[in-house]
Amino acid sequence: MAASPDLIERESALQGLGVSRLRKEDARFIRGKGTYIDDITLPGMLFGAMVRSPYAHARIKSINKEKALAMPGVVAVLVADDLRPLGLHWMPTIGGDTQAVLADEKVCFQMQEVAMVIASDRYTAADAADAVEVDYEELPAIVDPHKAMDADAPIIREDIADKDEVSHGPRTHPNHIFTWEAGDKDATDAVFDNAAVTVKEEILNPRVHPCPIETCGCVASFDKVTGQLTVNVTSQVPHLFRTVVAMLSGIPESKIRIISSDIGGGFGNKVPIYPGYVIAIVASIVTGLPIKWIESRIDNISTTGFARDYHGIGELAADKDGRIKALRFFALADHGAFNSHVSATKLPAGLFSICTGSYDIPAAYCRVDAVYTNKAPGGVAYRCSLRVTEAVYLIERMIDVLAQKVGVDKAEIRRRNFIKEDMFPYTTSLGWTVDSGNYDAALDKVLNAVDYEGLLKEQAEKRANGELMGIGFSTFTEIVGAGPTKVCDILGIGLFDSCEIRVNPTGSAIARFGTMSQGQGHATTYAQIIATELGLSSDEIQIEEGDTDKAPYGAGTWGSRSTPVGGAAAALAARKIRAKAQTIAAHLLEVGEADLEWEIDRFKVKGNPAQTKTMKEIAMVAHTGDLPDGMQQGLDASEYYDPPNLTFPFGAYVCVVDIDRFTGETKVRRFYALDDCGTRINPMIIEGQIHGGLTEAFAVAFGQEIPFDENGNHLGNSLMDYFLPTSFETPHWETDETVTPSPHHPIGAKGVAESPHVGGIPCFSNAVVDAFAHLGVTHMDMPHSAYRVWQQCKALGIDKRDGA
Amino acid sequence: MANKHTVSFKLNGNDVDVVVEPRELLIHTLRERLAHTGPHIGCETSHCGACTVDLDGMSVKSCTVLTVQCQDAEVLTIEGFEQNGELHALQEGFTQKHGLQCGYCTPGMITRAYRLLQENPKPSEEDIRYWMAGNLCRCTGYQNIVKAVQYAAEQTPKEVS
Amino acid sequence: MKVQLDKTFPMPSSPAIAWEFLQDVEAVAGCMPGANLTERVDENRHKGTVTVRIGPATMSFRGEVEVQDIDPATQSLRLIGKGMDSTGNSGVSMDLLARIDAIDGGLSELVGSSEVSMSGKAAAFGGRMMNSVADKILLQFADNFAAEVAALQEGGSGTAAAGGGAAAPVARGGELNALALGWAVFKDWLRGLFAKKKA
Repeated sequence: MAASPDLIERESALQGLGVSRLRKEDARFIRGKGTYIDDITLPGMLFGAMVRSPYAHARIKSINKEKALAMPGVVAVLVADDLRPLGLHWMPTIGGDTQAVLADEKVCFQMQEVAMVIASDRYTAADAADAVEVDYEELPAIVDPHKAMDADAPIIREDIADKDEVSHGPRTHPNHIFTWEAGDKDATDAVFDNAAVTVKEEILNPRVHPCPIETCGCVASFDKVTGQLTVNVTSQVPHLFRTVVAMLSGIPESKIRIISSDIGGGFGNKVPIYPGYVIAIVASIVTGLPIKWIESRIDNISTTGFARDYHGIGELAADKDGRIKALRFFALADHGAFNSHVSATKLPAGLFSICTGSYDIPAAYCRVDAVYTNKAPGGVAYRCSLRVTEAVYLIERMIDVLAQKVGVDKAEIRRRNFIKEDMFPYTTSLGWTVDSGNYDAALDKVLNAVDYEGLLKEQAEKRANGELMGIGFSTFTEIVGAGPTKVCDILGIGLFDSCEIRVNPTGSAIARFGTMSQGQGHATTYAQIIATELGLSSDEIQIEEGDTDKAPYGAGTWGSRSTPVGGAAAALAARKIRAKAQTIAAHLLEVGEADLEWEIDRFKVKGNPAQTKTMKEIAMVAHTGDLPDGMQQGLDASEYYDPPNLTFPFGAYVCVVDIDRFTGETKVRRFYALDDCGTRINPMIIEGQIHGGLTEAFAVAFGQEIPFDENGNHLGNSLMDYFLPTSFETPHWETDETVTPSPHHPIGAKGVAESPHVGGIPCFSNAVVDAFAHLGVTHMDMPHSAYRVWQQCKALGIDKRDGA
Repeated sequence: MANKHTVSFKLNGNDVDVVVEPRELLIHTLRERLAHTGPHIGCETSHCGACTVDLDGMSVKSCTVLTVQCQDAEVLTIEGFEQNGELHALQEGFTQKHGLQCGYCTPGMITRAYRLLQENPKPSEEDIRYWMAGNLCRCTGYQNIVKAVQYAAEQTPKEVS
Repeated sequence: MKVQLDKTFPMPSSPAIAWEFLQDVEAVAGCMPGANLTERVDENRHKGTVTVRIGPATMSFRGEVEVQDIDPATQSLRLIGKGMDSTGNSGVSMDLLARIDAIDGGLSELVGSSEVSMSGKAAAFGGRMMNSVADKILLQFADNFAAEVAALQEGGSGTAAAGGGAAAPVARGGELNALALGWAVFKDWLRGLFAKKKA
């Protein structure tokens, strides 16, 4: 029976779950009235400018501050020796390592922080930074991670040379960080030894960088009178930031306030705690004045958390029909000079063990060896869901390699190996329990939409004509929503999250979260969840995040965790409120609670529908004396949610490319992306996330890399060289969906924003390799820039026109 | 010690005077002396376009303009688009078509799109993508930005005085 | 970022005079455009500066030069140079093997084999131009060196005007004019585009 117009109108007034409502946060951004870190000015504020090392590995012989200090307007020049008496020249990282705040006697990566000048304005600070004279003694640098554990390799981390572990298990060499493994090695090896078919490839996931348009920065302000430290900062994790600063500085955490207001893009780049923040805090404590430090773009690309740098070896064992029997993946991970990225204590290689993907693989083993090199620290960043980009890239590339080996169609081989609809929840041989999925439906829908048979025909014709056309797939399973505290923590703090809702007497509400949007639209989507739960319009539900004085404790926003964890907390907190409201309604209507049913925005008496109480009416009553005996006033609730599992969104992507064999240029003719993230809160916002994630995937696949020369010099650390796609070359994206809710999530939702990046990168790569598959090519490393693709054409002898 | 210059120009229709060193960049003057923090800084090599303003009827990247070059100029920034409480068609378009996420590139995008529509009132999608290629975005993938500009083009937006 | 440069320059003097001149570190340094020796640390080591002007901007490198392995038998020596720019953002080091060989007609040639390496901003931004720029600098150096030894051959010393070569004009002992240098490098590169490259 169709819903009545009245019900439709009431539902629509909520602008709640499932509606593509316009965003609430846009109002300030379209007027240029956002509050980003560099917009913040405080009275008496000074500016910090960093002095950085030009060498990748060197001893510091001396630092001469005289010329800099002599310049008018320069207040201080801080070096490690100035921080040493406070014990702040080194700091703990969220990866369980320690990192130099200012280089202490040696530098370990090019552009490492050596000194900070504090001056009255940014121009003076920059002039003075140039005047600081540092004498270095250059040391040989390790740039190739394969050489990091050679017997004669120079020791990078003299500060921990005597430590046999850095928070993640035993080390075998001074440049070794950890070795992590999962699965049953012996059982897996046995399957490989007896397999009918095996394939093996060396697969590189090159070092890249998230490069949000806004760089990192902070304004640190210490009040000497009250002892209160306030830090405005670009942080995706304001509460974790506060806790670490308390540990570092000795200031009680209750006297520290971290404020992240508007952030111009995070993508994981704004999770770590960077030396610049710590030095600014120290400078503020010492001077009692606010200190602003904003890094440059080159600083950002050169020194803040990079992504990937996984040197992988993928192996699959299968039968002759392409049915996978075992998986063996290995990666050598280049972490740079410090292990500074998000790492759960038990999961230093993140969620890499999701590498069995969407497939039912009976035996698996994976291992990651992490090493130090003389490069900037990082590794987990850039929409990666904690190494899931690395894992999915490996499995999606390898299944194509297998398909080519056994001569099975690349879509068909995936079907043969999919976890089937009736197998969920499915526990993989590496220990993850995938909550729900329907991979066949997604793949079928996509193949239909792009007319796969037609594309195959076209490809055969083009190949006969000497043209290069590629069809690439990615049928990926993601793992997001870190996470259950028994497995997921950072420095011991569990990765729960929280929501605190207060409904006021006139029926609007404010909800505060421990997560932190950097453009994901939380002010809108969280309001939509609560609107549907409480029967109040999302227009009247204000969402706040980012101010640790107000917001309940949480682990911030990264790894697509906001909807799975924060969204769950929101729904459950709202349900607590609705439960209390139900008790009040029953009291007002003089019936038992079981006699009431909830309809959109009100309680109705069963069998007597004229008897109703709306949430708005109840909100007012909750602040009066007309309440059931023993009930306190107020209509608030908070929920600290410890998820029982992560969520597993999935997708099926198809990419069609045409490659010019004379120039190596690739044209992405079509990209069709089907995503399943369970319950969809705001389809418009989801679509926007897919467009953005695919564009970043396009960047990674076709041109991004952070190259170094043999001395550890950066060779591409500005936007002159680092490829950020413009509107002109970015392809057109087609999006689609299926909906397979998560059985354990209160509203059945899964995260989604990283899926397009995780799934997109192998899809582009698979398309490019597929274009050459008929010529025997099984793998090509990224980036697939025109030059590199042309080199492949040249190697195959197809780069010249006839007669040339 | 560099000598300072007094520079007088019009900012969003209002007369302003500043005293600056010859090397001061327009983006810093706008953001720090004149409290117009709409235009943003995203790089130092003139690539990102977050600092885009309209100078004497041309889009310029204000990170690559010296304030001393602006004597008697007319400068338009994002703050000048809303008039008497009424949003410009481009501002409407960006909201209606979800042409922004983190909002950092948005002032530059809108200011650049404004100049595009003044010069080419009915641009094709290819025109828009070509014209806007000097403004980088990491969040949106540009597709909805194109839609936002197309929306505004249909409203035949007025010139901002 | 390392570049290997092997160059041979004919000298208008006898090997003996050229070898004599080569061992006079201060005089040889004077032939390097934009270079100034400021302090003699000991017999074989000097401190100095090299100043490069690019339009209105000036980059000043300060560093050390050390002479080693002076071998009269082969008329060769080794020069190790290391410098950092005054803003601390770039470093340069050079390991040069220089030799005077006798050739027909009582004349000589200066044979140089050097490895130049750059770090920091210079490597990141200038790396792609390094070969061409180094070529040009060495050409100017050789011209100046040739002028000096020619004058000595004549029986005097002094600052005779730079001899042949298509090098851009440079003031002796003054600054290295990078724009003029850049123009010369650009012309070279343009010429190279239209020339048939050997396989």
